[in-house]
Amino acid sequence: MAPAPPGYHGCYLRIDVSDGRVERVPLPETVLRQFLGGSGLGAWLLLEEEGADRDALDPAAPLAFVFSPLVGSPLTTSAKFAVVSKSPLTDRFNDSLAGSGFAVAGKRCGCDAIVIVGRATSLSTLVIDDDRIRIDAADDLRGATCRAAEATLKARLGPGYQVASIGPAGEHAVRYATISHDGRHAGRGGSGAVLGSKNLKAIAVRGTMRCEWAQPGALTEYSKALSKRSFGPATAKYRELGTAANLLTFNRLGVLPTRNFQSGTFEAAVDISPGAISETYSRTRASCVACTIGCEHIYARENEQGVRLEYESLFALGPLCGVSDPDIVLRAAGLCDDLGVDTISTGGTIAFAMECVERGWLNAPWLQFGSGDAMMRAIEMIGRREGLGDLLAEGSRRAAHTIGHHSIAFAPQVKGLEIPGYEPRALQTMALGFAVGARGADHNRSGAYEVDFSDKVDRKHVTLDAVHHAIDTEDKAALMDSLILCKFLRGVFEDFYAEAADMLRLVTGWDATADELRDTARRIVHAKRQFNLLAGWTPDEDTLPDRFLETPLSGDPEATLSREQLGSLVTEYHRQRGW
Amino acid sequence: MRVEFLGIPRERAGVADLELEAETLGQLFATLAARFPSLEDVIATDRLRASFVANINGDRFVSDPRTTLHDDDCVLILSADAGG
Repeated sequence: MAPAPPGYHGCYLRIDVSDGRVERVPLPETVLRQFLGGSGLGAWLLLEEEGADRDALDPAAPLAFVFSPLVGSPLTTSAKFAVVSKSPLTDRFNDSLAGSGFAVAGKRCGCDAIVIVGRATSLSTLVIDDDRIRIDAADDLRGATCRAAEATLKARLGPGYQVASIGPAGEHAVRYATISHDGRHAGRGGSGAVLGSKNLKAIAVRGTMRCEWAQPGALTEYSKALSKRSFGPATAKYRELGTAANLLTFNRLGVLPTRNFQSGTFEAAVDISPGAISETYSRTRASCVACTIGCEHIYARENEQGVRLEYESLFALGPLCGVSDPDIVLRAAGLCDDLGVDTISTGGTIAFAMECVERGWLNAPWLQFGSGDAMMRAIEMIGRREGLGDLLAEGSRRAAHTIGHHSIAFAPQVKGLEIPGYEPRALQTMALGFAVGARGADHNRSGAYEVDFSDKVDRKHVTLDAVHHAIDTEDKAALMDSLILCKFLRGVFEDFYAEAADMLRLVTGWDATADELRDTARRIVHAKRQFNLLAGWTPDEDTLPDRFLETPLSGDPEATLSREQLGSLVTEYHRQRGW
Repeated sequence: MRVEFLGIPRERAGVADLELEAETLGQLFATLAARFPSLEDVIATDRLRASFVANINGDRFVSDPRTTLHDDDCVLILSADAGG
């Protein structure tokens, strides 16, 4: 095997958990330079493994945990990993990212990625201890919450292990089950169901193999300077208030999705705002390993387990379902974390079901907008696929096809992935970002809302001029997800591509340039698209549900997005992408 | 006109909203900067720093200090970075 460039091990582990066979597969330097790591390298690996051809839950389908050249370096926010597979929710490319120590420990096992195929004979834990790999029985962990499974395994395996696990939802193939690590989740698209389909409850990693850095002294100095900058105003919101602070801002701007996107304002937003919650809960902060931002705001009552609360969980389990009780919203977010389900898809699917009940199309009269108890009951049922939960565990798109009545018109999803907390009719650059996203409607793969929250466009009357801005944010996200750096750092950079090239030079020794990395970003976006094409993508998928294209936003008649308008934006997007 | 602070600007100003008189956005920022020294990391003389944005009446985002304001306008000042 050729020597790996600094920052890399130059290979990935390919593990077939059906028979325990392990291969250490070389990764050519040209591939590493072209796709970097994280989402980019993950896309290349899935194409190489022919992952598009198989059902997402087929044992032969590959599931990749992908690290990056920056993991393990002193660069702030670099301790992250990507989980990449075909999504059981969208049947398209899926990459979900999480921090923190798992990334560092996994890379120290001497690999740049871990690709898992096959299906263990019984519920198991994959244990990787440097180059010693085994499959342990985990039947005793069946039904355990993410948190309990991780704690049990760390106690059982001994010091130094980092664990990524699924909860009951992953075991029951809930199509939006997560993989959890240290309370954080590789959340979107159902990677937890994919791990569960391999009969794996968890993966535990521990390693001692470190990469070298091309310019260690200069890298340390650069990292110190970047950390210092990360304490500035660009990250103040995340550090001081957390993302939940978006709630009141979005409500004020009329872009807070409420009652299954029937409105852009929630009359009780103040009641569930971080300020209101802080009156009865204590708030502490936490951060990933190697992060100087510390965006996590954890709310707890005395003697109770704390709950991390993000804007997306708050919106999806609050306004989207019409729930205004902060205690319920916090409990619901904690329950989703324990069961291991994506809060956005959970809230979106329940809100959709609530509207179906309201219209008399779903016989579950207890499931009403505004009922916190009903929402909690539904989450419990989803996590274990009990009763109505078996239908809702399929996500809103599949549920709509079962319910009928053309309810797909208001199922809040794109390509099957439930829409995050940004009202597309009033944020129309984001509407384009949602429509064309490779993994469906997503705010982490397209930052087009930044364009809407600027004077570059008129957010309610977006024209073709917005398209290149949307592409810019998508490209930048693709690069950040492949380097990997946390997106909350993005405001720190004046010229992100130039600084990314600096970082990559210090880590790998490559003579990388900003222009090269712009090409790299586009290559990665294209690779995701290539996967989707092989999986059966058609242009018709790049759209929004009828609700958004046929009905103005309630209370804001200017917030109207026609089918023709979105269609022209999408067509122009495809043209500029060269597709 | 009315000025509303959201997020970090509200934390720094220590108030949620107030009434002010200004003919342009630049004048408004200058007045705020003089009245609230704690807004130093939000306002740079007559404009907002890169991490913050202004919006008029919940509709239009603006940055040009020469933007004309009217008595019945409501200017929102918020963090530019809405992700999460």
